[in-house]
Amino acid sequence: MPKFFLNKRLIILLVSIMVLIALIGFSLKERDELSWMEKFTKDTVVFMQSIVHKPAQFVAGFFENVNDLRYTYEENKRLKEHLEQYVLLESEVESLKKENERLRELLNKKESLRDFVAIQATVIGRNPDRWEETLIVNKGSQHGVKKDMAVITPQGLIGKVRSVSPFSATVQLLSAKDRQNRISAFIQGDENVFGLIEGYDEEREALLLKRIPYDAKIEKGQRVFTSGLGGIFPKGLFIGEVEEVVADEYGLTQIAYIKPAANFYDIDDVIIVKRKIEMSQEEERQ
Amino acid sequence: MSRLFLPFLVTVMFLLESIIVQLLSQPLFDVYLLVPRMLIVFITFITIFIGQTEGMTYGFVFGLLYDVVYTELLGAYAFAFSLIAYLIAKAMNVLHKNAWTASFFAIVAITCVEWYAYAIQLVIGGTTMSVRTFFQARFLPTLFIHTIVILIIAYPLKQMLLKWHEKRSESSPV
Repeated sequence: MPKFFLNKRLIILLVSIMVLIALIGFSLKERDELSWMEKFTKDTVVFMQSIVHKPAQFVAGFFENVNDLRYTYEENKRLKEHLEQYVLLESEVESLKKENERLRELLNKKESLRDFVAIQATVIGRNPDRWEETLIVNKGSQHGVKKDMAVITPQGLIGKVRSVSPFSATVQLLSAKDRQNRISAFIQGDENVFGLIEGYDEEREALLLKRIPYDAKIEKGQRVFTSGLGGIFPKGLFIGEVEEVVADEYGLTQIAYIKPAANFYDIDDVIIVKRKIEMSQEEERQ
Repeated sequence: MSRLFLPFLVTVMFLLESIIVQLLSQPLFDVYLLVPRMLIVFITFITIFIGQTEGMTYGFVFGLLYDVVYTELLGAYAFAFSLIAYLIAKAMNVLHKNAWTASFFAIVAITCVEWYAYAIQLVIGGTTMSVRTFFQARFLPTLFIHTIVILIIAYPLKQMLLKWHEKRSESSPV
């Protein structure tokens, strides 16, 4: 009998497989918090990573800069055009904002679902395993980050906070496969249409907005925002644009394919969004 | 070379895997799902040129770090890395230690880790990727890139590890 199958080794192997299965089961469970050991390990690694990240980013940034220089002229021309429109838009927004404030005061309603506090964070790593698309950012519970907060870039929503340790947090991207990753959203139009974002189509690179009423009329190119009804996300975070609408398998509701506005690959800085109206406050009011 | 050189090198490699994916995700990783697997290459080389105990220790420690920090799926990589180190050590009992066998085993190890990770994701429902897509878009490109990288670094890496090992056993005879 070869050494390989000696009893003792076989037993060790079996025991470690059992431990492995138990550990995987444990980590798949919905956990509110990581254990202190995980938190400590994460923070230590994130600290080291932020040291290595700087020079690496410098090298990568150099090539990016060279690439950027090539398109500067065209971009400049385009931006100048935009700038003129921007001035007009800004004055309009300002007047609308003032009006909104005045009306709110009249109604005696100070806070809205739209209000949020932004926490700036830098992305210092990404899951190299790439089965689950997650980012590691350098802000944690010490900076006020909590589980399930929305994470955005200036282009739009990219995901939510999955786990937090004192000085770092893991962000789960919208493109990650997770059944529990549901976001209440609405399609902006003459009449807002509400639905739930559930899942991501990898081949089409589009988010799935499900449970849209069957009689809702939706057109391609309409914009989709978070509705703030889910409890944690604020209202009005831009998600993307409608690409196609199909009936679901039973024909009772419709499914819209949404092209995400944010780029899920090239992310350097993110904003973690904390809603001003807390869950508890809302419940009290009801 | 000091004692801490090898742990330091592997740690930097471990950190770089994540940073590379983050910084170069746009140009490199959009079309194919390339996955950096240099850690397991290092573990293979350490197992072959330094020893089974060292290989398994590095495999377990860095596998566990990988689980805790990156994937949040505890135990998966810690188990795979140390088991692969063990099997390679056993196989090396009957084979010659040289850069070619090490390269060969490193490629085999990457194959094992990739299919193992895919199997786990299928079982826990973390992916719905078909075997065909996995093979064409993820496995083959990853293996291809790593084969090139391994062939380039195999010889220098081997020399470096042997030198480090020699120096260390001189300074502290065990």
